[in-house]
Amino acid sequence: MTERIGVYVCHCGTNIAGVVNVAEVSQWSGEKLADNGVVIARDYKFMCSSLGQELIQKDIKEQGLTRVVVAACSPHLHERTFRNACKGADLNPYLCELVSIREQDSWVHTDKVAATEKAKAIISGGVMRVAHHEALEPLRVPIHPDTLVVGGGIAGIQAALEIADAGFHVYMVEREPSIGGHMAQFDKTFPTLDCSACILTPKMVDVGNHPNITLLTWSEVTKVDGYVGNFAVTIKKKARYINEELCTGCGICWEKCPKKVVDDVFEAGLGNRKVVYTPFPQAVPKYPVLDAPNCTYFLKGTCKACEKFCPTGAIDFEQKDQDITVQVGNIILATGWDLFDVRRIPQYGYGKLANVFTNLEFERLGNAAGPTGGNIVLRDGKTVPKAVGIVHCVGSRDQNYNPYCSAICCMQSLKFAHLVHERTGAEVYNFYIDMRTPSKGYEEFYQRLLEEGTHFVRGKVAEVTNIARVPEEEGKLIVQVEDTLIGKQRRIPVDMVILSAGLQARHDAKEVGKLFGISCSADAWYIERHPKLDPVATMTEGVFIAGCAQGPKDIPASVVQGAAAAARVLGKIQQKEISLEPVRATINEEQCSGCRICNDLCPFSAILFHEDTMVSEVNPALCQGCGTCVAGCPAGAISGTGFSNEQVLAQIEGLLMLNLKRLEAVPA
Amino acid sequence: MAVELSFTKEIENIMYASHGKPIKDCIQCGTCSGSCPAVEFMDNSPREVIGMIGANLKEEVLATNTYWTCASCYQCTVRCPAGIDIADMMYALKRYSMWKGQYKEGLLGPDFSEAFVKMIVNSGRSFEPILAATYLPKYSARDIIQEGLTATGLVLSGKMPLLPKKVKRLKNLQRMVRRIIPIGETK
Amino acid sequence: MKQYAYYPGCSLESLGKNYNISALAVSDELGVEMKELEDWNCCGATAYFPVDELLAYTLVSRNLAIAEKTGLQDFIAPCSACYKNAYTTNKYLKIDPDLAEHINYALEEDHLHVEGKMKVRHLIEVFIEDVGLEEIEKKVAHPLKGLRVAPYYGCQIVRPRKDKEDVENPQFFEKLISAIGAEPIDYAYKTRCCGGSLIITNRKAALDMVYKLLQDAVNSNANVIATTCPMCNVNVEVYQSQVNREFGTNFSIPVMYFTQLMGMALGIEPKRIGVGASMLSLAQSTAN
Repeated sequence: MTERIGVYVCHCGTNIAGVVNVAEVSQWSGEKLADNGVVIARDYKFMCSSLGQELIQKDIKEQGLTRVVVAACSPHLHERTFRNACKGADLNPYLCELVSIREQDSWVHTDKVAATEKAKAIISGGVMRVAHHEALEPLRVPIHPDTLVVGGGIAGIQAALEIADAGFHVYMVEREPSIGGHMAQFDKTFPTLDCSACILTPKMVDVGNHPNITLLTWSEVTKVDGYVGNFAVTIKKKARYINEELCTGCGICWEKCPKKVVDDVFEAGLGNRKVVYTPFPQAVPKYPVLDAPNCTYFLKGTCKACEKFCPTGAIDFEQKDQDITVQVGNIILATGWDLFDVRRIPQYGYGKLANVFTNLEFERLGNAAGPTGGNIVLRDGKTVPKAVGIVHCVGSRDQNYNPYCSAICCMQSLKFAHLVHERTGAEVYNFYIDMRTPSKGYEEFYQRLLEEGTHFVRGKVAEVTNIARVPEEEGKLIVQVEDTLIGKQRRIPVDMVILSAGLQARHDAKEVGKLFGISCSADAWYIERHPKLDPVATMTEGVFIAGCAQGPKDIPASVVQGAAAAARVLGKIQQKEISLEPVRATINEEQCSGCRICNDLCPFSAILFHEDTMVSEVNPALCQGCGTCVAGCPAGAISGTGFSNEQVLAQIEGLLMLNLKRLEAVPA
Repeated sequence: MAVELSFTKEIENIMYASHGKPIKDCIQCGTCSGSCPAVEFMDNSPREVIGMIGANLKEEVLATNTYWTCASCYQCTVRCPAGIDIADMMYALKRYSMWKGQYKEGLLGPDFSEAFVKMIVNSGRSFEPILAATYLPKYSARDIIQEGLTATGLVLSGKMPLLPKKVKRLKNLQRMVRRIIPIGETK
Repeated sequence: MKQYAYYPGCSLESLGKNYNISALAVSDELGVEMKELEDWNCCGATAYFPVDELLAYTLVSRNLAIAEKTGLQDFIAPCSACYKNAYTTNKYLKIDPDLAEHINYALEEDHLHVEGKMKVRHLIEVFIEDVGLEEIEKKVAHPLKGLRVAPYYGCQIVRPRKDKEDVENPQFFEKLISAIGAEPIDYAYKTRCCGGSLIITNRKAALDMVYKLLQDAVNSNANVIATTCPMCNVNVEVYQSQVNREFGTNFSIPVMYFTQLMGMALGIEPKRIGVGASMLSLAQSTAN
């Protein structure tokens, strides 16, 4: 061994030193590992501090160190710190190895003697390994300045506008005919009671008109190839059957269309739309869409009323789906949420009892452009309710359905209570377990609802029934609940029940995530890189998430995440190039038999197969260096820079202290 | 090292461990009490009882009639959002109360259960008339007459046996029972 | 003929006698054989769990062990309480080896051993799933046309969850009623408790529960209430007069076991299905 290795044992205050005898370990390393190349061993209170780092740098210069081993916390925290310290002293950062004697030793053991011995073994492993390290340079890949934003709700819109305003091009893909997302369905927003459309539509118009945004609605992403900085995304533009070059958005086609269908998406099943339609008047873009599966022409070959009346001849029944491929450097997924299906809770009566509504249905009731013109009425379309019950936590905070809290339903329920008061003067009962009103102005909003005389009943509703027991209950919907604050079961007769159903991940979140190479949690929300410190990045470089796709949240938080994702993307674009960790797998072409086992093992879809040469190749930009393919290759043809077989085997030898036994066996 | 168990822990221990979540997971939402068909006849609602157990109020819990009014319909269990098997907890409270011999005065449940157990140990099968002896003394005169009428009707329609049946291998059954708990030395 | 290990339960020998004879008659007619377990003991119903849980499971396990000895696959209980006890005990025997060990230690005294390998089912499942609704429909000689039947599931057949249908709104009973030509009515309290043993230990509470149930069934225009459990049947039928006295009502709706209704539809003689021995005559309220 001609390497000159420095070993640094951190006390980490009492975190390590309280269990491991760091002085003993440091001294031992200097003595026993000298034959393995250790020329100096020190211990210090906080290696990660500037003084600690300077200690390393000084030794590199004065002792001519060629390798450094730091025994401290987990590499997740300070690997970069020590690598940079080495870099600062002109030692290649990848010649530094950080071994954990905290998370893997002092924090999990109470036996001090055993823990100290274990620390020695860990350092011995590190020393044996680092001798096999090579000087590596990070990969530099260029960043394409265009960005893809998937999802045209408020989070996606915010992200797109920020990037576009900064002067860079954005492709926005939205699967519905118009952008706007769920926010476009709402009547008012809490706590300000701003009209939702009034604050949303200016942003929508900005997106539609922006010179830097290419808006692709009624479209879906079907394929994503490539890696950060260089994605090739295939987008399917579904056929609208409308020629966008000719269409003026005049609306004659949907006026003349003779067929109505129930609008399950925008009107939440409460209202109808025509077969050729725009989902709502302020739709962006203005071009309508023809719903072919329901169209009389496509079903029976007749009608064509829209074509007859279109003044510009923009109806095109021959139009086909179109596939386009775009190059982008970064992707932001802002795909939003689906509503919990309240039919899964039959005891709440939705579907059976006419005047039980979901929250989305109620938003449409209250919306002035909705099916009742903004009048809060029962299903008969005319009766104004005199008493309304609003049920919190429907399908949320429940082991039987979704265990998490949906974050917005308390505020939404309070908002509904206010709207009912305002528009109908009815008595309102809110049935809650806890009142979750954390953000700015939210508690004050609750206060306002208390002052308005809302009846708050603390109890999770057990059932909603129409079986009357006393005359006052006849013809009413009865909410049966325990009023836990007084300890009595109550039956409260109302005319209308609103179920504040929870938010859920999109039904196809997993499939969509797979397209982009990101994972979902057990609840199917996309997984962020770190839940506290990095909520918009994912484990896949170049793919970001924003808004409810990452988890239930209100509009301000969605906007913030959209802007955060945009800032991250802009930061990357500004650098023009990014450097990637060189710890990657490489496949030895000559040894590869083309069995392709590695292709499917790779969790990051980073391995390509060359049909012509029948060998696999690792894409270094996508590869995260997890090592799965290295282990999986039956021919042993894959090795990793930064985790080669020699390095790993040497580390194992060191951990088992075989290096010492060997040295001791040599006769003096 | 012997540790004095809190009442909360005692009750949790008596509940069968392999299913349902611990009662400390209760968020006091009230779904159980809102669903219970017998809650109007209970001194405290099921939710209140869970709260009382959590607060270690042993005497108050034993003195309430709640768990003896439980019909074991399991509506609470299937609806509980915290996944707690509340009906099972009611059984656990019954067992605890029987073990300590402590319960609200005037309840028929404890005597009925005890008589039932003894009857099975003595014959291996259930025989209604024996059970009547446990509760009739506590009924009002009017109710006793009513029971008599009902019983007569049942006998006449052949639905009430006049003689108790017995399991053939009764001695084995009794030894089997004694391997679990030491009862059955009577009669 | 497919054979099933049949566990009648104590009630079917006394209060539920009509259930037993009609169950056997219908099984016979549909080509399935219910082989009664030899020397079975009481399952403990809801009365054992208040005293000792382990003993309760042991008593049930003795019956499961006897069934396992027959080599048959299915353990059939016509009574919902027996069914629930057997189902949950069987489940725990499989997932908790400590429990199984303890119980088997006790079962040694009767030279028995239980493994938890029976498939525990309620009698109604055998007809719906094994015989099949189509087959039953074919064999119906007198479809009960116009008879409005309230399917009374009661609680323990659906709850606690037994990995089957929806616990809030099961439909299997309605399907069976339709298959025999009758009209199942939809009413809210079909899975609500009848009070069970509270009829003895807290009569007031039980009568209230029976009252609410009767009211809902009658208000939904039922001609007859069909049951799947002898306890439910007794509570709703035998105590109707008490309910009337307590609440000032005048209910007189017949309550029959589902097997009796099936028997009528299949054309089995009334004597073999215990019809006519019912406390309240069905003839008073059938549409035909």
